[in-house]
Amino acid sequence: MRTGIRTILLAGAGAAAILSGPAAAQDQPLVIARNLEINSLDPHRAFCDTCQIYLSSTYQGLVKLAADDRSVEPLLATEWTSNEDQTQFTFKLDPDAVFSDGSPVEAKDVKWTFERLKNLQADPSFMMNGVASIETPDEKTVIVNMESPNSEFVGILAAPYVGIVNSDVASENGAMAGEDASSADQAETWFLANSAGSGPYVLDTYRPDDELRFRVNENYWGDAPPIGEIVIDHVADAVSQAQMLQSGGADIAMQVDPDTASTINSPDITIETVPSYNFIYVMFSPGAEGGDMLDLEVRQALAYAIDYQGAIDFTVGGEGELQASPIPNGFPGTEGLPMPEENLDKAREILASKGLEDGFTLDITVASLNVYGVDLTLLMQKIQQDLARVNVKINIQPVASAVWREQIANPGIPFSARFYAPDYYGSAQYVQFFGMLPDTYWERNASGQGKVDLVNKSEVDLFQQALAASGDEMNRLYHEIALEMIKDRIIVPVVSPNLILAYRSEIEGVRYSACCNLPLAEIGRK
Amino acid sequence: MSAAVTRNAGRRAMLPQWATLPVVFGGIIVLLWVVVGITIPLWTPYDPTMLAGGRFQPPNASHWLGTDALGRDVLMRTLYGVRHSLPIAALVIFCAVLIGGTLGAIAGFVGGLVDSIIMRLVDVTLSFPPILLAMAVTAALGPGLGNAAIAMVIVWWPIYARLMRAQVLSVREREHVEAAIAAGATRPRVLTKHILPLCWSPIIVNATMDFGQVVLLAASLSFIGLGAVPPTPEWGQMISDGALHFYRWWIAAGPGIAILSIVLGFNFLGDGLRDFLDPRSK
Repeated sequence: MRTGIRTILLAGAGAAAILSGPAAAQDQPLVIARNLEINSLDPHRAFCDTCQIYLSSTYQGLVKLAADDRSVEPLLATEWTSNEDQTQFTFKLDPDAVFSDGSPVEAKDVKWTFERLKNLQADPSFMMNGVASIETPDEKTVIVNMESPNSEFVGILAAPYVGIVNSDVASENGAMAGEDASSADQAETWFLANSAGSGPYVLDTYRPDDELRFRVNENYWGDAPPIGEIVIDHVADAVSQAQMLQSGGADIAMQVDPDTASTINSPDITIETVPSYNFIYVMFSPGAEGGDMLDLEVRQALAYAIDYQGAIDFTVGGEGELQASPIPNGFPGTEGLPMPEENLDKAREILASKGLEDGFTLDITVASLNVYGVDLTLLMQKIQQDLARVNVKINIQPVASAVWREQIANPGIPFSARFYAPDYYGSAQYVQFFGMLPDTYWERNASGQGKVDLVNKSEVDLFQQALAASGDEMNRLYHEIALEMIKDRIIVPVVSPNLILAYRSEIEGVRYSACCNLPLAEIGRK
Repeated sequence: MSAAVTRNAGRRAMLPQWATLPVVFGGIIVLLWVVVGITIPLWTPYDPTMLAGGRFQPPNASHWLGTDALGRDVLMRTLYGVRHSLPIAALVIFCAVLIGGTLGAIAGFVGGLVDSIIMRLVDVTLSFPPILLAMAVTAALGPGLGNAAIAMVIVWWPIYARLMRAQVLSVREREHVEAAIAAGATRPRVLTKHILPLCWSPIIVNATMDFGQVVLLAASLSFIGLGAVPPTPEWGQMISDGALHFYRWWIAAGPGIAILSIVLGFNFLGDGLRDFLDPRSK
């Protein structure tokens, strides 16, 4: 009897939904199938691809990246100016901007956010490198003083990790911005259940390896987004994502690989393939445990032994591009860079000159992840085959991504594969993350936290000049830096895979963004 | 009627008594796999870990079971897989019988506090679902076939301990044992010469049946990423690869059929052996 009543009620609800038409369709939660792989939801500790989607929907920066993926547009700041030598930036905040609790976005929030991002010394903290001081002459004006020129600073502010946080609310819940923030801050757990930004959505719930749920920000000061509730469902593999999409269980599948996409043949599903700035790279860490033999020449030899085109064919069915340097194709300074070259003779010659013609063995770990359609373990097996041709044996140990993150810092992993997506349009982020400048993420990890000296002095000089330059001169300097980074042979890009956007045909507004992956607020139902 | 009886009697006379149809069938399957495992490097055209042709080729004349995502021949990988599955199963069963059998015999023969301690340990171990315990142990030790084998021994030994203890307890009461004790035989001698020889048949039957189960558990551990590491051609690992490329059915089909056949083979063999060695359970 009870079941009978429930059936009638459900049927009634279903009929009401059909009768009320498109408006009701927008009320249904939008479901996105994706491998969550989130390291944190604290805006200044998070550093992952899903984090980009999350942060760009719940927080807002002073500026945002325009749809052309290159220029910046006003967001929380209505206007900004810089002095001639790019050492001081002044921003005027939008008087209408409010946080999700209704309180206005003020200069003190901007100052607090930038200081916390810098002082937490977490993964995205490099974005605030060079910030000397922040002044707040009035509630709506912010002046940022740099230690040295930084022509890319405004571009950096479009990154999702630089979104402005409601400092009052965050401070009440244990967040700190002072110089001791890295040890004193207690807010990471609070941020797992709450957001404190001014973006179109707020965090509803987050359950690790299950779902990330957004609901619309009722106090949003801009145009309300078309969809009221969005769920990112944790679906680890491409096939399951594709199946969910086909069965109607998901509206958008984000990590369908080209091989799986080719098996989807339904008029209800739209599949777009677009070039991306994302890339997969392999890296050598001579300072890691077991990586002693990986000096510059050996790294060069191993880089010659990789079959790059084969890797593209085998991992993404040819749907990708070669990439020359850790600065992706299309970013400032990358025009005309020499593409990676497979040259077995040279590889053998170098190894023979080092007395390593019989090769050696590397024990490595790789995160068992599928990113941008590339299964990292599969890619590593392909490279394992390639390196076997020069007698270098790799023992692969797939591990969870979180384990990989721990191992790469200590004891280090001599050789592995990883991925990167841009946070804004500009080449400095790559130099600050991949370059052999003192204390960049990869300088630290590849050198075994300083066990071997990998710092490249020319990169340090060129980078300083690049930050002070603009236009063609800046492009030329980044080109030089890219050449130096290629010569370092620490980071070797393997493939820049095309991105597959797979979604149900009634969904509109799905696009790839270079800073933010998938801008949720633009998505709607037809 | 009498003709049929004569014919059956004739067949029985030709074949040994243990050679029932299931035993012969299971034995042939297992023997084939053993032969393949030993001789395979001598006659295979492709290396199971290296590129053999284009990727994702469906079954064809040069690749009978197609190729996988890295262009490796699925048939070769399937056949090579037995070189990992069978030795692991043999090792696990051997260690489990050795450890479980010894502890079970001691528990049953000595009794008292020793018996209680060993059997409580058995109870605790058996109270965990086998796959869960194996997963926990492998996760703690780290992935790899060696560690998976250790985990499986930990899962399996209590079964043999319990079995052996029950056997020892029943044989201990027989007259010939009492006679041996009365004649002044030492306790170890009574156990090894007068009790253990009569306890083996259920252990052997169980071990044969468990062979297939160990192959299955090893494949399960590899399937969830806790057993073999790539590019080892291990069946569970291959099925896991096949699941990633779900619409290319042939990648998982080869190892799937292999697991099915070997488990079936050992089950038939075990069934037949039980009928022969332990006719009461028929």
